[in-house]
Amino acid sequence: MKQLYGSSELIEDVFDRDLCVGCGMCVDLCPYFKNYLGKTSQLFACDLEKGRCYAYCPKTEVDLGQLATAYWDRPYEGLPLGPYRKIAIARAGEKAPRGRFQGGGTVTALIAHALTTKRIDAAVLTGRDGAVGVPMVVTDPDDVSKASGSKFTASPTLAALNGAIRDGYANIGVVGTPCQITAVAQMRQNPLELKDFNDPVGLTVGLFCTWALDTRKLLPVVDECVGDACVLSMDVPPPPAEIMVIDTEEKQAQIPLSKIRPLVPLGCQLCPDMTSEWADVSVGQVEGMPGWNTLIVRTERGEQAVDQAIESGYLDVRDLPEENLQGLEKAGAGKKSRALEALAEKGGLNAQGAEGRLTLRMPPEAIANITAAKRG
Amino acid sequence: MSIIGKAKEGERHLLMGNDAIARGIIEAGASVAAGYPGTPSSEIIENLAKAAKERNIYVEWSVNEKVAMEVAAAASFAGLRTVAVMKQVGVNVASDFMLHLSETGTRGGMILISCEDPGALSSGNEGESRPFAKLFEVPLLEPGDFQEAKDMTRWAFELSEKVRNLVMIRSVTRLSHASGNVTLGPLPDVVPHARFKFRGDEMDPDEGPVVTFPVAYRHTLMQTKLAQAVALFEDCPFNRYEGPEQPEVLIVTSSACYLYTKEAVDLLDVQDRVGVLKMGTTWPLPPKYMEKHLAKSKIIFTVEEVLPFMEDNVKILAAGLAERIGFKRFHGRGDGTLPAVNELNPDLVAAGLARILEMEYTAADPEYARLSEESAISGAPQRDLAFCAGCPHRASFWSLHNALEIDGREGFVCGDIGCYALGSRPTGFSVSKTGHAMGSGTGVASGFGKLGRFGMTQPVVSVCGDSTFFHAAMPALVNAVHTQSEMTMVVMDNSGTAMTGFQPHPGLTADAAGEEVPALDISDIARAMGANVDVADPFDLDTTQRKLLALLSKGGVNVLILKQACALSPEKKGKKLYNVTLDPAICLGENCGCNKLCTRVFKCPGLKWDSETKTAHIDELTCSGCGVCASICPSGAITKKEAV
Repeated sequence: MKQLYGSSELIEDVFDRDLCVGCGMCVDLCPYFKNYLGKTSQLFACDLEKGRCYAYCPKTEVDLGQLATAYWDRPYEGLPLGPYRKIAIARAGEKAPRGRFQGGGTVTALIAHALTTKRIDAAVLTGRDGAVGVPMVVTDPDDVSKASGSKFTASPTLAALNGAIRDGYANIGVVGTPCQITAVAQMRQNPLELKDFNDPVGLTVGLFCTWALDTRKLLPVVDECVGDACVLSMDVPPPPAEIMVIDTEEKQAQIPLSKIRPLVPLGCQLCPDMTSEWADVSVGQVEGMPGWNTLIVRTERGEQAVDQAIESGYLDVRDLPEENLQGLEKAGAGKKSRALEALAEKGGLNAQGAEGRLTLRMPPEAIANITAAKRG
Repeated sequence: MSIIGKAKEGERHLLMGNDAIARGIIEAGASVAAGYPGTPSSEIIENLAKAAKERNIYVEWSVNEKVAMEVAAAASFAGLRTVAVMKQVGVNVASDFMLHLSETGTRGGMILISCEDPGALSSGNEGESRPFAKLFEVPLLEPGDFQEAKDMTRWAFELSEKVRNLVMIRSVTRLSHASGNVTLGPLPDVVPHARFKFRGDEMDPDEGPVVTFPVAYRHTLMQTKLAQAVALFEDCPFNRYEGPEQPEVLIVTSSACYLYTKEAVDLLDVQDRVGVLKMGTTWPLPPKYMEKHLAKSKIIFTVEEVLPFMEDNVKILAAGLAERIGFKRFHGRGDGTLPAVNELNPDLVAAGLARILEMEYTAADPEYARLSEESAISGAPQRDLAFCAGCPHRASFWSLHNALEIDGREGFVCGDIGCYALGSRPTGFSVSKTGHAMGSGTGVASGFGKLGRFGMTQPVVSVCGDSTFFHAAMPALVNAVHTQSEMTMVVMDNSGTAMTGFQPHPGLTADAAGEEVPALDISDIARAMGANVDVADPFDLDTTQRKLLALLSKGGVNVLILKQACALSPEKKGKKLYNVTLDPAICLGENCGCNKLCTRVFKCPGLKWDSETKTAHIDELTCSGCGVCASICPSGAITKKEAV
């Protein structure tokens, strides 16, 4: 079981060690945590011994075994992509709204459909204000595409989830990165055993993520590259391009990845999850197939949401080519083994005792699997 | 108008020291009085303002103490009696002019009244101004009681006219703000006529130009004038000796310390063993008079407040007189017989005197002292200095604190002088990290704002009040703009010099006497200086924080004016903006994730924690209806409705 503490320990364990990725889970849960330009800050010290901020944070202790039992009803095995029911390629169908999609528009299609069919009553998404990710709560299916396209910045999206819960939404769709989906998964377990808790999340769509960028570090780099021009989209083309491409209304600019990699927050380097394993469905790019997404269906309700979207013409789905699956597994396994190494170095893997507060817990079998996958 | 301006000769009234000083100024027939507010001096100008019409006195609250002294000096140059009034820190501000004024000399009688604050009851420092008298070679008087406060003030004008130089009077809190009986003198029948005569020779003290050249000549003249003063001090009714012909201990004292000393001598019942030399003319000390009395005893105990000013001067005199008066043993603040800091009181003086006399003395029964100390710690609620209920500064500092934390670059505030000096305390959420003199917040911020080239990335903010803006912050702002500093100045405009009692300043439409005057607009001034200027209502937390956040990232010099009248301002008093209510059914109390944000952190005195219901509630009597707490409660338990 995850050990529970309060905000003082959250500050010590996460903020002071520069591990916060600004997912937004603690923001606006209470009046003390705020996020501005990607950085989360605590306004005043709070002396509560246990808090939701610590309990939900994806960078405090995370017990993957406990989450696996709760969500998958099976042990955590360290599989490269996590367990799933189906894997396929997908793109927005003809009924789905159009937008400036990163891949095939699968996320926009799924969320728009879930809102239309009242599977969810609100969706928590990430919009864009230039290079800054902006949390959004969307209830109108036509507004979903305003949040389309990858942001590449760590964004406090989950602040909008806390806002939506406070506003009374009870079946919320959440689109988030693996850290955000992990935070939501912990929150849904009601770790503080609050009496009036009802799981407010109706659907989670997880995004693939190898790393995100620190907004505050990215802003001057983008400024230098495109000046005042408003950023419309960003992309990292597949290797060997080694560049980030930024589109503005005026021009397309390129930044070498060597300038981008130092902007990855420390917290991302400890993350073992590339494909948002705790989501109902996970969506990412497909290498070599622009206009399409990889779609991983993990849970029963995820499967229902996908199947109904296909039936209604919101989603086109085809088989994932075998070589793409292999490539994806290799990348997923790679992220896991890199995280394991970084965690082992920091003493943050299955640590016990006084150092055990900041740690990632997983069964020894999972560690063995991850290590073996790397060797294989 | 006040009793000060109309009561007749021979009447006896209970007067505060500052009332007595004001009466002395009126009895002297002064025509001009200028000052800047500051505790414990403010009542002097206020009293004169009340009598201004009746007594035909021009009274002004000047923009700062230096200008006050300059305004007063102009009247002297034109032949009128005139006075400049300030607290001790103000003399520092005026000191540059004061040196030059002493060089040029005065014409109409001119006095400077410095009211000082030993123990810093109402100040950010425990400084004192008497050394300025020595530094600038002007005579210094210190009244020892309330009657003297009046009489010496009146006499000071005559002295000034005799020596043709400024005369300085020093009062302290326990004289300025305490009260005693004063027998009044006649009100003068003066018909002043102002004319500045300058056609005479450069050396002509009556009709020449008033300049400091030639310097050597003028400096010699200064010293001649001082010697004239000393001659007058040799036979002055404000100096007197009380006690036996050959006391074991001679106490040299002045000002309120004279009263403490008399009480201490009575407490110890040592009237036969101790003599008290009460000095009214404390700089320069008259050497012949001093010689006569210093010869009386081998032990000299100087009792005075703040610096050992008189003590040192007595030692210097005694050294020169040693051949004739013999060697002395000296006691005072210098050797620890009296504490070196803080106010004195009769008990401390008695304790010091008892040690010299090798007597047993305990101020209070030790058991009583222990019990009273214990109950002071355990019995009284712990209270830090705090802003009043509904104070706009609390709201401003809340927004400043939150904006700086949200900005997250370790930004900080350079504080300044006013109620908002509490910005460094929990009531101001401890955002102010520097605090010095009037206007210094912006000057220091201007300097911090140039350290970017050395790797400093922290946002820099200064705060200042509306009166402080005019007093000394304007040059600092000019400096910041001109040097292209990177900083944000927040003017907390609460529509008055609130801390000292709502005296007017150049931003307001009424002067000291209540006459209508043109107001200068702070935002126009700042804009004309070249700053980027914005205005907000500090009670609107969202807008204020949004604007602050934007300014923190904007380059250059920004000025944000947070305008909201003081909760105690005469225009607001008694009227609530909102009726604020707290619904205990909505307040989640201890179960709320806010962890008592309103009573633990925001801490307006109008909000109370009810330990029985374990919810917050609003103390209607204390609440002044600003409504800010309604914006802070995350549960929406606090609501505000516009007061009718």
